[in-house]
Amino acid sequence: MESISKISSIFETARDLTLEAAQSAGAARSLNPRPPRDLPFAQIKKLLDSRNDRDILEGLRKVISMMYRSKPCLPYFSAVVKNVASPNVEIKKLVYIFLLHHAEAEPDLALLSINTIQKSLTDQNPQVRAMALRVMSGIRVPVISQIVSLAIKRGCGDMSPYVRKAAALAIPKCYKLDPNTIPQLLDYLSILLGDKQYYVAGSGVTAYLEICPERVDLIHKHYRSLVRKLVDMDEWSQLATLRLMSIYARKCLPVRSKKMKKSKTRGFYDDEASEEEGSITEEVRILDPDLELFLRTCKSLLYSRNAAVIVSVARCFLDLGTPDYVDSAIGPLVALLRSPQDIQQVALYNIVDVCLARPERFVRYADHFLVHASDPFDIARLKFEVWTLIYTHCEPHVRDMILCELEHFTRALNPEIVQESVRAIGRCAQSDSLASPRCLRILLEQVSSVDGNLSAESLTVIRHLIQQDPQNHTKTVIRLAKNLDITPNPEARATIIWLVGEFAGVDNESNIAPDVLRILAKGFATESEPAKLQIVLLAAKVYLHHLNNLPEPQPQSSNPSASFQELPPSIDQDEPDNPFASSASSSPPANPTYPNPSEPPDPDHPIPKLWNYILLLARYDTSYDLRDRTRTYRALLANSSSTQLASLLLLAPKPVPHAPSPSENRRDLPLGSTSLILGSKFAMGQGQELPAWVEEGQEPDPRLRDEGGVGKDAGGVSSVGSGRPAGEALDAALREEKEKEKERGKGKGRMVEKSLEDWLGEEEMEQEEEEEDGSGEDEETEEDESEYEEITDSEEEEGGGKMEAKGLVDKESSSPSSS
Amino acid sequence: MSTAVEAIYIFNQNNHCILEHVYRSRPPPPHAILPLYQRHTKPRPSVIHLPDVNPPTVLFSLLHANLLFLSTASTDVEPLFILEFLHRIIDVFEEFIGAPLLANKIESSYDVVAQLLGEMCDAGSVCNTEPNALRDDVDIPGWMDKLLVGVGLPGNPPGSLSTGGHKQHLQLNPSTTGPAIPWRRANVRHTSNELYVDILETLNVTLAPSGRPLAAIANGSIAFTSRISGVPDLLLTLSASGGKIGLEKAIELPVFHPCVRLARWKERPGELSFIPPDGKFVLAGYEVNLMPSIHDLKSWSNASLQLPASVEVLKSLGQNGADFEIRLAIYNTFPGSAPALQTQRPAFGSRSSGTSTPVFGNSSNAGPTLQDVVVTVPIPDGVRSVIDLRASRGEAYFTASESLVEWRLPTKAAASPGTATLRCTVVGPVADEDTDGMVNGFHSDPTSGDYDEQQDTYQSSAPQPINAPKPRDKQDAQDPKKVQLNAPLMPSSAALSFTVKGWLASGIKVDGLVIDSRKSKGLGEGVKPYKGVKYLTASRKGIETRC
Repeated sequence: MESISKISSIFETARDLTLEAAQSAGAARSLNPRPPRDLPFAQIKKLLDSRNDRDILEGLRKVISMMYRSKPCLPYFSAVVKNVASPNVEIKKLVYIFLLHHAEAEPDLALLSINTIQKSLTDQNPQVRAMALRVMSGIRVPVISQIVSLAIKRGCGDMSPYVRKAAALAIPKCYKLDPNTIPQLLDYLSILLGDKQYYVAGSGVTAYLEICPERVDLIHKHYRSLVRKLVDMDEWSQLATLRLMSIYARKCLPVRSKKMKKSKTRGFYDDEASEEEGSITEEVRILDPDLELFLRTCKSLLYSRNAAVIVSVARCFLDLGTPDYVDSAIGPLVALLRSPQDIQQVALYNIVDVCLARPERFVRYADHFLVHASDPFDIARLKFEVWTLIYTHCEPHVRDMILCELEHFTRALNPEIVQESVRAIGRCAQSDSLASPRCLRILLEQVSSVDGNLSAESLTVIRHLIQQDPQNHTKTVIRLAKNLDITPNPEARATIIWLVGEFAGVDNESNIAPDVLRILAKGFATESEPAKLQIVLLAAKVYLHHLNNLPEPQPQSSNPSASFQELPPSIDQDEPDNPFASSASSSPPANPTYPNPSEPPDPDHPIPKLWNYILLLARYDTSYDLRDRTRTYRALLANSSSTQLASLLLLAPKPVPHAPSPSENRRDLPLGSTSLILGSKFAMGQGQELPAWVEEGQEPDPRLRDEGGVGKDAGGVSSVGSGRPAGEALDAALREEKEKEKERGKGKGRMVEKSLEDWLGEEEMEQEEEEEDGSGEDEETEEDESEYEEITDSEEEEGGGKMEAKGLVDKESSSPSSS
Repeated sequence: MSTAVEAIYIFNQNNHCILEHVYRSRPPPPHAILPLYQRHTKPRPSVIHLPDVNPPTVLFSLLHANLLFLSTASTDVEPLFILEFLHRIIDVFEEFIGAPLLANKIESSYDVVAQLLGEMCDAGSVCNTEPNALRDDVDIPGWMDKLLVGVGLPGNPPGSLSTGGHKQHLQLNPSTTGPAIPWRRANVRHTSNELYVDILETLNVTLAPSGRPLAAIANGSIAFTSRISGVPDLLLTLSASGGKIGLEKAIELPVFHPCVRLARWKERPGELSFIPPDGKFVLAGYEVNLMPSIHDLKSWSNASLQLPASVEVLKSLGQNGADFEIRLAIYNTFPGSAPALQTQRPAFGSRSSGTSTPVFGNSSNAGPTLQDVVVTVPIPDGVRSVIDLRASRGEAYFTASESLVEWRLPTKAAASPGTATLRCTVVGPVADEDTDGMVNGFHSDPTSGDYDEQQDTYQSSAPQPINAPKPRDKQDAQDPKKVQLNAPLMPSSAALSFTVKGWLASGIKVDGLVIDSRKSKGLGEGVKPYKGVKYLTASRKGIETRC
C-alpha cells in the first residue's frame, strides 16, 4: 500500500511542498540554525541541575540532540541520570533514552539509577511501569540480570497489558544479558504466550522466536489461541507468528495423504476442496484440522496493507499448504507491484520464486508485468523472467504481446535490459517450438548490432536454439556465416564459427564451411583469440569431414592410443623453421607406426592445403592455448588411422543446452528472506531454516493442543472466516480463564510491598475488570452480531471516567513530592 | 530469519548523517557504510549485500524527499519487514514533526524523534507503529502543541507542564484495559468534526506503437482524514458505473487498513465499515483493470479506453531520418464525470478553501480539467543533443544530464481539445562520416577489402532480416543509409504525465459516508460532521507509448 506521505504529496501540489522546503532551507541558512546547541557545558549542566522541570527538560533536550549528533555527552551522565527520580514523565522518558544509549559506557553510574527505576516498576501509571521495565532490561549491564528477571516476572502478572507487553519484549534482552536465566524466562514466556490480549501474545511470540525457537512444547497448548489471535495482532507480531507457525506445523502436524477418487477443486478462491466422483484415484493430501485452521486464518491476512505480511503468508502456503492455498496468495502478491519501487523490487524476487512453483496461475496477471521505461534494470529483469516462466501457459495473443514487448526492449536504451530481453526471448523460444522462428528472426537482427555484448548474447541464444533443432537450421547457419562480415564482437564471431563447424558435415556438395574457412584464413592474423581457437577447430572439422569423405583407405594396423602417447613429447618440440608439410613426418622419428602424411591422396585438394595453412598460422601464434590445441588436432588428424577417434572427439553429438530460468537456483531459498534477494544463503544460522516435515507417528500427541474444551467451544473453523473472529472467539474462550488470571494477579500483587493507595488503585482496577466481564457477557447475549470493537468501546467509556477521577487523585498525591 | 531492526541511519542530501539510532548488536557505523552504498550505481537497489564489512551485512535503503534512510542487518531478516518499517517511520515522522520531512525538522526535534524511535521499536523488535497510539506515548514540546491545538488536536494545556504530562497520560491511557482499539487514540475531541475522503488513482497504461493498449491499470488509494470526536463507526459506500456487479469486477486485489472490517467487505463489496484512526491515513488500496475483457478485444479500438489524452511518436522523419515528432492528442473527455458530480454534490457539498487540507476548489463547478501535462521522451545515450524543438503548444527542452526531452503544457494550453505536436532533431555523437566508420568499425580495415564485396552479394541474396529501415513517413528525399544510421538515436518510448482533479479513471465514486450513530460513541447529539470527497486521477509517466 502506498504510504500516506506519498499520497498526500500528490494531492498537495508539489509547489507548496517545495516552497516550504525552500523556505526552511533559507531559514536554516539565514538564521543561525542551531544557536541553542552551542550552549557551553556549564550552562547545560546548570539546566540539568535546576529544580525547575522546565529547565531540566530544556537541558535534556539539548543533551539528547547532542547525542544524536554524535557529540560527546558522557560528561553529563551523572547530571542527567540523577533526574531519573523525577516524577515528571516527560523528564523520565528523556532520561531513559539517555540511559539506554550510554549505560554501557558507564555501567557503575548506571547501576546507581537501577534502584530508582526499580521503584518505578511499582508506579501507579502503567506507562511508567512499562517504561521502567523496558529501560531496566535495556541497560546492558550483565550484573543486574537477576533483578531484570524478577522485574519481568512481576511484569508478567501485571494488570496492564501494556506492561505485560513490555515484559514480553524484555525477555530476549534479559536472555542476552545472561543466558543462564533461561529456565525462569521460559516460565514467563509460557504465561505470556497464553495471554488473552493479542498484542501481548504477539510480543510473546517475538520473544519466543528469539530465545528458543526449537521449544515447540511451549506452544502446544497455546497453538489454537494464537492462531485465533493472528488476525488481530499488529503486522509485526503477525510476521513473527507466521514464522512460528511454520516451524510448529512442520514439527508437529505431519503430512497425511490418502488415496481417494480423483478430487477436483472448483473455483480459484474456493475454500472447500469439493470432491467429485471420478474414475482415477490419486494421492490427496489431508490437512491436519489444526493446520487447516491456521491456513484459513492466514487467508484474511492477504488483505493486509503490509507487503511483508503478504509475502510471509505466501511462504506459509508454499511451505505448508496445498497448491490451492498458494494460488490464493498470487493475486495479493501481484498487487505488491503497486507499492513504491523499493518494495516492488523485493516483492518481484518473491513473485518469481512463487512463479517457479505455479506459473500457470500468473497468466491472468501477465499485463501487470509490462516493463516501463522508468523501471530500473533489476525490476525489468525480474519482470522478463516472470514472462518467460508463464510464456508456455499463455493464450496465443498474450504470447504475442510478450514477444512484441521483449522485441521492443531489444531496442532499449539500457544495454543491460537489452541483453536481458535477448535472453528472455531465448527462453521463450526454448519452451515453445512454434515461436522459435519468430524469436530467431528477432535475435538475428541483434547479431549485427554495434554493441558487441548484445550480439554475443543473442548469438549464444541462437546457438542454443539451433542446437535444439539442428535439422531445420542449416539455412540459419548460412545466414549467420554471412553475418561474420559485419559482426565485430570476438565472442559472437567465435560462436558463429563454431556453429559453422558443427554444420560442416551436412550437405556435402554445397557446404559453406570450407568457404567460410577460406575467407577466415585470410584474416586470421587480425582475429581475436577466441575466434582463432574456433577457426582452428573449424579447420580441423572441415579437414576431418574431408578425410571421412575420401574413399576408404587401406586399414592401418596402428593403435590410435599410441599416437596419443606421442602427443606430450611433440608439445615440447618446437621446430620453428620446419615447414609444416614435413613436420608431421619428421617430428616423431622414433615412432614406427606414425603414418605417412603424404598418404592422404590429392595433396593439391584445397582443403588439406587450407588445413595446412591454418596449422602453420596457428603454430606461430602468441597464445599457448592456441598452439597447444593446434598441435593436438594436428596429431589427431595426421594419422589416418585415428580418423575414427578424431571423429569421435570432434564430431561427437553435443548435448542440447538448456538455459534455465535465472532464478531456478533460488528455488530452495525461503520466500521473503534476504537470502532469496541475494541469491545465496546469507547468515542463516542453524535452526533458522525450516525443519523437515515430521514423520507420521513421530509427532506430539494432538491432544496437547486441546485447551480444556475451549477448542471445541470455538466452533472450529466456521467462525474463522469472518471479520474479527479472533476477538469474538477470544472473549468467549477466555471468560473462564479470567478468574484464574485474576487469582494470579492477586498472588503476584501480594508479594510486593504496596502502599495503601496502590491497593486501592488495584482494587479499582479489578472491579473494572469484573465490570468488563459483565458487559462483555451482556453484549454477547443481547446480540450475537455485536462487533468486538463495540464491546471494548463500552468498557473504555466506563473506564475513561474512572481513570479521570484517578488521575486527579494521582495529581494530588504527586504534587507534594515534586515541590 | 529474524525480525529485528539493528540500526537506522538517516542522511541529508549532503550525505551528512543527521541521525543514528542503534537498536541492537554492533552494526558498522554510518560513515563506514555510506561509501559502500554509494559505490553502487544509480538507481541503487534497495537491498545491498556488503560482504566486506565485519560482520557481513545487508544494507536496506530508502530515499524519501532528499533524505536517505539506511538500515543494516547482519542476520537474515525479511527485507520487506525492514523496508515497510522504514516507510512507517517516514509516515510517523511526517505526522509528528510535519510534512514534508526535512533534514532541519529532524535536527530541531531530536527529542521527539528519539521518543518515536524508542517507542516504535524496542531493542530491535518493532512494537508500535500506529501514529495514534504513539500520540498517546510521545510528548511533543510546546510550539508543536500550539500548532496541534490550532488544527483541533488536543495538546497539553498550557502552563501545566510540571504535572500536566503526568495527568495527560493517565487520561489518555485507559491503562487497565490497554488500548481498546490499537489504531485509535482514546478520548478524541474536536470542536469541528470533519471527514474527508480523497481517492487517488494513478494510471498505468502501456500503448503499443499502433496505439492499441497493451495494459491499462488504475492503481487506486483511498486516503481518509477523520477529525471527529469520540469513537465513530463509519460506513463508506463505493459504487462503480456497472452497479454492484460492476464494482465487484472493478475493484481488484484490494488491501485495507487494519480498521476495515473484512467480513463486511466480503459480504457486500463496496462497503467499507470501520472505526477510523484519528487524523490522516490510507484506508484502502485497490486496482482497476481498465482494459476490456479478452473476448471483446477484437472489436475494440483505442477510443474505448477513453483516456483524456494520449501520445504518439513518429520517428525517423526528415531527410536524414534525424527528426522525430510527438503528437499529443488531447481529448479532454472524462467519461462518467458529469453525472458523478451531480449526484455527489447534494450529499457532500464542495470543500471551502479555508480548511487545512488541500481543496477541491472552484474547478468542481467547471468540471474536471487536464493539468500539469508533461510529455517525457527518454533519448538514447548516443545522442549529443536535441535541437530545433518546435512545439505547437507549451514549451519543450532537452536535459542532457538525464538525456530526456521534457515537454510541458501549461493548463491553459492543455484545456482545449485537439492535437499538439512537438518536432525535434537529434544530433548524433560525432560527424556522420565517423559514425559510418564506427558502425562498420571492425571491417574498415583495408586488408579485408573484398569482404565488402562478399557482404554485398550475401546481403542481396538474404531475405533482408537485418537492416530493413522502415521509415513510417514516406519522404521521397530520404537517404536510407542516413536513416539507418540515425535509427539507433531515435527514442523508443514516450511517457505522458498529467493530473485531473474531480475525475476517476475507473468511474468509481463515493455513494455515501454514514456515521452509524447506534454504534458510534462520544459524538454529541445532533452533531453533523462536515464531509468532503475529492477525486484525483494522476499519471506519473504512467501512460507510456512504445514506438
